[in-house]
Amino acid sequence: MAIAKAERLMNLALCLLGARRPLTKHELRASIEAYLEASNDDSFNRMFERDKDDLRELGLVIDSVENLDGDAGYVARRDSNSLPPITLDAAEATALGLAARVWQQARLAGAASGALHKLRAAGGMPQADEAESYGQLHPHSSLEPYIPAREAAFEPLMLACRDRRVVVFDYRKSNAARPGRRQVEPWTLECWRGQWYLAGFDRDRQAERVFRLSRITGAVRSRAAAFTAVVPDQVTVRETVERWAGESASRTARILLRGGAGYPLRARATEVCPRDDGWDELEIPYGHGLDAWLVEFGPDLVVLEPAELRADVVDRLRAVAKG
Amino acid sequence: MASNAIDQTRRMLSLVTYLRDRPGARIDDVARAFGITVDELISDLDVLPLCGTSFRGGDLLEIDTDGERIWWRNADDLAAPLRFAADEATALLVAARAVATLPGLRESDRDALLRATAKLEAAAGDTAGASSRLSVTFESEGGVFADVDRAIAERRRLWVRYYSPARDELTEREIDPIRLFAVGHTYVEAWCRLSEARRTFRLDRVAEIRLLDEPSDPPPVELRDLSEGLVQPAAEDPEVVVEVAPGGRWVAEYYPHDSAEELPDGGLRIILRTPDPASLRRLALRLGADGRIAAPPELADSARDAARQALAAYGE
Repeated sequence: MAIAKAERLMNLALCLLGARRPLTKHELRASIEAYLEASNDDSFNRMFERDKDDLRELGLVIDSVENLDGDAGYVARRDSNSLPPITLDAAEATALGLAARVWQQARLAGAASGALHKLRAAGGMPQADEAESYGQLHPHSSLEPYIPAREAAFEPLMLACRDRRVVVFDYRKSNAARPGRRQVEPWTLECWRGQWYLAGFDRDRQAERVFRLSRITGAVRSRAAAFTAVVPDQVTVRETVERWAGESASRTARILLRGGAGYPLRARATEVCPRDDGWDELEIPYGHGLDAWLVEFGPDLVVLEPAELRADVVDRLRAVAKG
Repeated sequence: MASNAIDQTRRMLSLVTYLRDRPGARIDDVARAFGITVDELISDLDVLPLCGTSFRGGDLLEIDTDGERIWWRNADDLAAPLRFAADEATALLVAARAVATLPGLRESDRDALLRATAKLEAAAGDTAGASSRLSVTFESEGGVFADVDRAIAERRRLWVRYYSPARDELTEREIDPIRLFAVGHTYVEAWCRLSEARRTFRLDRVAEIRLLDEPSDPPPVELRDLSEGLVQPAAEDPEVVVEVAPGGRWVAEYYPHDSAEELPDGGLRIILRTPDPASLRRLALRLGADGRIAAPPELADSARDAARQALAAYGE
């Protein structure tokens, strides 16, 4: 039950923060109502360990110290748990307030507003009326940015990147019939064009790989022990994905386009020559995946060269014509 | 639910610090400061007096309320401001850095955000490190963005030449902008004076844009909840059935669909709805050997005809 658990966590947090010396598990059990009610040692121990982990997730630094009898004692020291002084002006607070609303992922949305609460509680944010009058004088950009993260794999991978834990998951390559098992040292998660990608070291392939989260099937499991291999500072997720998307084109192609058709091709054309018959001749960048895109324009487009691209487009058209 | 208990604990820890410094704070003001309802705040205030403040219990938090104001009666050192958790620092820093990179953002907003980010990094210390494991890049079309932003601020109508991929055509229309948002790409939601309906326009498909002198006057509309996805087909939209081979499984990633059933060859049978099935002709052409339209038959026919006409230009 939510209330019971929040009450128990609050009690444990206040107890550890208020302690003048490390408290043993027995002492904590004797001080906190919910622990007294635990039916046996096992269930108390499980509850206590979980609560300690939850409080650490909430940012509490809990030291464990061994006392003279060899028992572990726990304390949340003031100096390691206090927020250094921080003061935001009205402009900064407004901008940060906008940024804090971008997460469409529950865990990070909760964490972002939690961080603002801490700032506000600590007196680091301007008063409401001050912020309001600032907002009236300086209307900010009307943009509402959102960061989507609907993939089930997002949260476990985020935690695994943070804690440097090896993950195991099933991954389906874009053209594969069946997923294959992957074992990866996760480095970073990057969102580009609304899609999340994981960069990491694939242990079986012994190489750096980029994975698209929407192609991970089933659960992500992470190993208990942290990995020690070095995580590179710079990871080139974006370059890899651009290559997949055919945006690192190094060659060009020449095509004919019916007048008025194919605006996006015209927008990226390096040359456009109108012809007398109502068609235009264009030179466009030619990278991976261009054939699939050109076929979409059906009878409004003809590939002139290179021959290889022309052949790919004709093959695709034949497949549809047969269907 | 466990996550509720976590969020509530997080909030209550900040609440005790907040109340310590503001004796007699008004319930309305506190709820507003924490972005919660008065009921949620009251349920926190019901829990707090059950919390002991020291080893051996006994000393409970003394927080009283008369239903309008809240009083705090404990020792001051009980509730010093707490440091950021790793997730808290990450959530704020990653979001702030991402928003700061948006082209077209007002410079004063960007400067304020960068200053705030630097202060947060300093206050978070080591905890800020984890935020380098996440990054977000928004796509946004600077020039168009600035015009839409200005139109919204000045409540003015816009004229746009807009590309519709479904029809492969550019249309000119006047729109009254309602909101500007970014989810991967940047979009403007507007009342379209051509179709007299609410429409969403992707900024990178705006070929030309002009601010008009007429005031913008969109009818009052309820803002959509974008967390459910951008494309929300209506129940009455016609159904399209697409069968894809393994190489066409990406269709299920890009098109919102009602169902995707696994086929024995590793492919999928995808059922989706769209107000305009003809717009999927492009998809049928793109799929080639990797898939086919199973229904409606008119759509499959039109793709086949288009392919045959196109082949004629290659002498086939």
